[in-house]
Amino acid sequence: MRRVLVVAAIAATSRADADPLRLRADALSTTASPAGLLTLEAGGASGPGLSAEAVVWTGSLSDQSRGDVLVIALRARTAEGRASVRVGRFVESLGALRPVHVDGAAGRVRLPFQLAVEAYAGIPVVPGLATARSWSWATGGRIARSIGDAGSIGVAYAQQRDGGRLVSEEIGIDAGAAVGRREDLGARLTYDLANPGIAEVAVTASHRSKALRTELYVSHRAASHLLPATSLFSVLGDVPAERAGAVATWRCAPRLDLVADLGARRVDRDVAPEAVVRARLRLDDLGTSALTGELRRDGVGDDTWTGARGAARIALPYSLAVSTELELVIPDRDRGLGSAWPWGLAALAWDNGTWQAAVALEASASPQDRRRVDVLGQLGRRWGLR
Amino acid sequence: MRRRGLIVACLALTACAGVLGLTRSGPRPFPHRKHVTAGVACTRCHVGLEAAPSTLHIPDDPACKTCHTEPHNQGSCLGCHAAPGALAELVEARDHLRFDHRQHAAPSRGDCMRCHIGIADGDDHLRPPMATCFRCHDHDAARDARRCDACHRGLEDTRLLPQSHLAHDGDWLREHGTRAAASGDLCQSCHRESFCAECHGKTVPALTATRRFADPFAASVHRAGFAARHSLEARSEPGACTTCHSPDRCAACHTSRGIAGEGRRSPHPRGWVGPAAADNEHGRQARRDPAACASCHDGAGQSLCIGCHKVGGVGGTPHPPGWSSKLPLGALPCRLCHPIGSAR
Repeated sequence: MRRVLVVAAIAATSRADADPLRLRADALSTTASPAGLLTLEAGGASGPGLSAEAVVWTGSLSDQSRGDVLVIALRARTAEGRASVRVGRFVESLGALRPVHVDGAAGRVRLPFQLAVEAYAGIPVVPGLATARSWSWATGGRIARSIGDAGSIGVAYAQQRDGGRLVSEEIGIDAGAAVGRREDLGARLTYDLANPGIAEVAVTASHRSKALRTELYVSHRAASHLLPATSLFSVLGDVPAERAGAVATWRCAPRLDLVADLGARRVDRDVAPEAVVRARLRLDDLGTSALTGELRRDGVGDDTWTGARGAARIALPYSLAVSTELELVIPDRDRGLGSAWPWGLAALAWDNGTWQAAVALEASASPQDRRRVDVLGQLGRRWGLR
Repeated sequence: MRRRGLIVACLALTACAGVLGLTRSGPRPFPHRKHVTAGVACTRCHVGLEAAPSTLHIPDDPACKTCHTEPHNQGSCLGCHAAPGALAELVEARDHLRFDHRQHAAPSRGDCMRCHIGIADGDDHLRPPMATCFRCHDHDAARDARRCDACHRGLEDTRLLPQSHLAHDGDWLREHGTRAAASGDLCQSCHRESFCAECHGKTVPALTATRRFADPFAASVHRAGFAARHSLEARSEPGACTTCHSPDRCAACHTSRGIAGEGRRSPHPRGWVGPAAADNEHGRQARRDPAACASCHDGAGQSLCIGCHKVGGVGGTPHPPGWSSKLPLGALPCRLCHPIGSAR
């Protein structure tokens, strides 16, 4: 019934002179579990002011059959773009605060002096098409000011309650700025008001030249402040996990990109270096065929590991493409879960713009399964209706 | 020895020059300059500019043969004399731009080069950059209001990124949380609601990775052998999983797969809980990654902790020095350890 309403709502917003109504259906199946998944996607716009979108899915995952709505949203906007509103189920992201998946409404208004105010209110989404839901709600708002064309700064606040009990209360500050023609900065800070303390901080600064992009990043995250305040484990205080490093992305030849990410990670008293080196070679100007190779050193404390990954995609005639992806992870500590965890996938895909099909063979050895081979299949169809 | 290495490197670079894109092995840009200097008017080849905007206005083989009466090859002219990316850009422009050459003929006084600036110099991009539009059109208000659809149609379906794409240049997966925070409305000018929800949605997470398993270049935190390494990654970045997943998701999956849950042996190592400080690794680990503990012990499992950590219990206070909360003692989770009336 809900799916019928979704299609009807979208169809109602589509006129002959508007953007076409887009429909997409994907069926996926895998021998793992076994599982099947059918996703239906629709979107359309009735002129510049009104659009609607929906993604629903149904499937058999593990031993249970389920279905749910991922997105069903109606979006309206004034002609000059000064105000907009969304109603339905959507993901709301307010500045530095974590994204929230809600059933509700959100709005945004641009005010004089380059100010913008946005707010949302709704019921946090819980998985499953449950009709009996506890009285929980989430609400938040953000006020932001643009600083000319150079950037913006914003302050956001959100509160979530479950059955009247405070689950989370956060305030966040975000800022972004283009310092020069080639330099930009981004920063965000989230402060937990329920159990006072800094929940998250992230700062990045980058510089771009024609072929080289370099970036410095720092992040700080205190997991206890990310848990619901109703959790017993939210009272354990600040033991932050921190990361700092630099990334260089170099287009050293028109079709070859090299990426090096070097940094360090700290969790409690453990500090460990981390590094990623990646190369990607496009085999044609459009990048439809490409190769990539990657070496990685990751983890901290007893959870360090070294990994290598390679992938290739080769476009063939008749809209076909073959691809393969291989990965080998070697944990520093065996723990009786295996000294190496290889994973591989080989796929054949066909996409003619309307129909899409793919079949793949996946093989792996992991802590969960000593040996495992799965087959994956996908069939998709897109429609554009006027 | 060094000279030999240099020679080998030069030879390798020469051999790979085509693959690396240093030399063009495929179709070349159309020689516009040659035609312009020969006095060929643009509209002589690009016919129909004054007609319907739904065509690409690209000359076909018969059009070329009106001058090149004896072609050197029987193949299609554009098969070799047009960069493939340029044609793809034109198709994108036709399908996703509200643009009509007819409206621009008079203002440009028939001078195509006023907009198609680099064409005579062999520029691959036949479609002018957006900055060229802004030389005549004042779109500041529209840009500030994110009213891209005044010119762009169906931006979500376009494959081309803007020339200066602030947010997508670097490690997008790690960085987007910082960049998108300051300009969420800008993201919405190109991305639909489902773009965020396919990863951050609570109802079917990781739809992107699930649906694009055959594309090894599709960005996702759950790519490749993630199932094998997820425990290492989760412990190395405490709290990261809770960005999308509720803590009980771990327990739900582990229980259904028979990895943990009721009736199973304790997953904790020796020395996890004990009377001596040296035997109490659980405290340190709980502070490092409280979300991992909450994934199994939240709810009914809390009683295990409260047995020792209640006020007056042998476990002492789990709070660090200076810890405070705005929650009243009668609220959850305070009242679990602090019965009403007990000392704080």
